[in-house]
Amino acid sequence: MKQHLGRQSGVQKVEVNLLDGKVDVTPKEDGQIDPAQLLKATYDSGVTAAEMDMTARGKIVKDSSGSLALQVEPNRSFAFAPNELSNGLESRAGTQTIVTVLGQLYKKPAGKKKADLAVPLRLLILEVQKKE
Amino acid sequence: MNTKRIALIVLLGSMLVVPVAQAQIKHIEMRVEGMT
Repeated sequence: MKQHLGRQSGVQKVEVNLLDGKVDVTPKEDGQIDPAQLLKATYDSGVTAAEMDMTARGKIVKDSSGSLALQVEPNRSFAFAPNELSNGLESRAGTQTIVTVLGQLYKKPAGKKKADLAVPLRLLILEVQKKE
Repeated sequence: MNTKRIALIVLLGSMLVVPVAQAQIKHIEMRVEGMT
């Protein structure tokens, strides 16, 4: 799995901890990393992803449907799963403020063995680390 | 003269690019099951 993930675009380093099933992925600074692609690559390598968390910096924007989202690249943004923390960022939408958040992008639904990878990933903010 | 003008353009350009360049995915952590 380590080699498989390491071959994905935008991935600089992959560290796997066999004991607790933790996989750390360090992205390159080229902005090419795609979490959905990583999730797919994980399944393709024969293991089940139970959870995926992401730390990212970006601007708060409103997408075409009016939902708040974190824009991490000019052409890539992650819509927020609404919670108290995302609501607190609403006033920053459309401003030049750069925020750093830790959020959950994916959690395997209870009782399901296989994930539905066709569903767009939504970012559930767990912590707002910085506002600049 | 030309050098000054180019330096100014580069400086202004970098000011516009910085906020976008700062935006990025910093780290991804996964918990997986069924790994041997």
